Amino acid sequence: MRVLRHHLPHFLMIAPFLVLFGAFFLYPILSGLYYSFHDWNGVREPVYVGLENYTRLLGSRDFSRAMWNLFQYIAITVPLGLTVAFCLALLVDSFTGRWANFFRNAYFLPVVLPAFLAATIWRWIYAPNFGLLNMMLGWVGAEPVSFLNDTDTMLYALIAVDVWVSAGFNMVIILAGLKNIPADLYEAARLDGASKLQQVIHITLPMLAPVLFFVLTYAVISAMQVFDTPWLLTGSSFSEYGGRRGALLFPVMDMMGRAFGGVQFGLASAYGFLLTIAIIAVTALLFAVRTWSNRR
Amino acid sequence: MTSAAAARISVWTVLKWATAIAIAVITIFPIWWMINVVFSLPGEPVAINPRLWPTSLSAGLEKIEMIFTQTGYLRAYGISLAYALLTILGVLFIGSLAAFEFALFDFPAKGPIFGIVMLSLMVPTAVTIIPTYLLTSNLGWLNSLQGLVVPGLASAFGLFMLVQFMRAIPKDMIEAARLDGAGHFQIYWHVALPLCRNALVTLAILTFMQTWGNYMWPLIVTTSPEMYTVGQVVGMFNAPLSHQTVDVVMTANLLAAVPPLLFFLIFQRKIVEGIAMSGTKG
Repeated sequence: MRVLRHHLPHFLMIAPFLVLFGAFFLYPILSGLYYSFHDWNGVREPVYVGLENYTRLLGSRDFSRAMWNLFQYIAITVPLGLTVAFCLALLVDSFTGRWANFFRNAYFLPVVLPAFLAATIWRWIYAPNFGLLNMMLGWVGAEPVSFLNDTDTMLYALIAVDVWVSAGFNMVIILAGLKNIPADLYEAARLDGASKLQQVIHITLPMLAPVLFFVLTYAVISAMQVFDTPWLLTGSSFSEYGGRRGALLFPVMDMMGRAFGGVQFGLASAYGFLLTIAIIAVTALLFAVRTWSNRR
Repeated sequence: MTSAAAARISVWTVLKWATAIAIAVITIFPIWWMINVVFSLPGEPVAINPRLWPTSLSAGLEKIEMIFTQTGYLRAYGISLAYALLTILGVLFIGSLAAFEFALFDFPAKGPIFGIVMLSLMVPTAVTIIPTYLLTSNLGWLNSLQGLVVPGLASAFGLFMLVQFMRAIPKDMIEAARLDGAGHFQIYWHVALPLCRNALVTLAILTFMQTWGNYMWPLIVTTSPEMYTVGQVVGMFNAPLSHQTVDVVMTANLLAAVPPLLFFLIFQRKIVEGIAMSGTKG
């Protein structure tokens, strides 16, 4: 009791945070786990169904499609986005003073826009008849492409928006990492006659490895939860989502659709857990690869 | 330096500048294009008659006035602002109270509690959003401001960031204040808070950007039109069946971009540093 009274002020100060954290983070996770084993439409009593939600999802066509789309999307957007971000950081870093600031801010601008707006603006740029891109294609005499309705181009259209938005974000983090590399390392390399490219490969990349690893992990985790951009690019609603032939159907979209369109909260909760397991597995894999490559 | 070497350097420099400017055009152009469409007379479609500058200030202002007076945009603006400001106040206050304790004092179970909160940073939103929605619905908070705001207040990221800053506060200062007779809360309010003002401002800006741009949570929590946020109203303007002309839709889009763009112009260094810090210290 005395211990408690002694520490009471501390607990009072953290109480607001802990109460909200418990109510809106811990409790939802536990209740989500409970729902995931039940068939529930939000109105009548939940019916226990064991693992049926999970097995139904794993056998469902939309789930496989969403996961396959996600795999293709990540396999392109993450390496491409990080390469672009890294090159942008090197480019900005090669300027000094006012111009370095100007280019950094210019490249960062898409990050500043609300996430929903990037998709909205790009939908107009991609528009079939009077969109900017098709107008430019017209100048060179090419046939118009309906970027967001042609299953061959939809994924790439999404990736372009994604890189446009995320490159500036990752660039800023990489830039901060670049600033932390001691200048005398480059000086020594230059005296040894190393070229610019050799300096990047032998000094910049290894020194930047921790930062790049953070950026990579973060990029993969957020890409696995992609929602706003494909949802808005395809003009989705809870009754119809994923675009033509589900070419831009991603797991979180499918999960939200099943919850709020199909009113299957149990199934949707199970979806969330399956996705979380996938995210944890991928993150663990990334960490394992890093540990393994550090040891070598 | 030989002239050949000088020529090579200048070619390199020209190339570098050309690349840098070309990329800047790609990142800035869509935003400039939006402004361009808004501030031109209706019936002067930019795509058919390409030009790179706006032609009419008054036409743009008219569209803005029309949108504010004849659609639900102004109300959505108010709701989004209230959502963002209340979230900022809550996140800063609740987060700094807890950060003060975690950074500067010892108490039972401190380590495990902090560990669990930090672990939550790795849990994807995907797994919590539906049960959090169900809870919000059970509380009767759908279509309300508290439904938008309260579930987002316990920000683990905010706590992490503030703890990082508060750890730098010298313990002597806390002791000195205590010897002067200051109570626990007074030390927090008069000593700790002013010292981490920079971190608070950065967190406030990042929280603003995030809340203003949040699309997913309002999409499910505020489903009746009188509680729509800017993101939802912009979505309606852009829907295929909205029957709005391109320039009106672009005006709606531009208005949604104005607050964060203004924030960025004013606080660019803080924003960039805040994001860089979250990456390099994380």
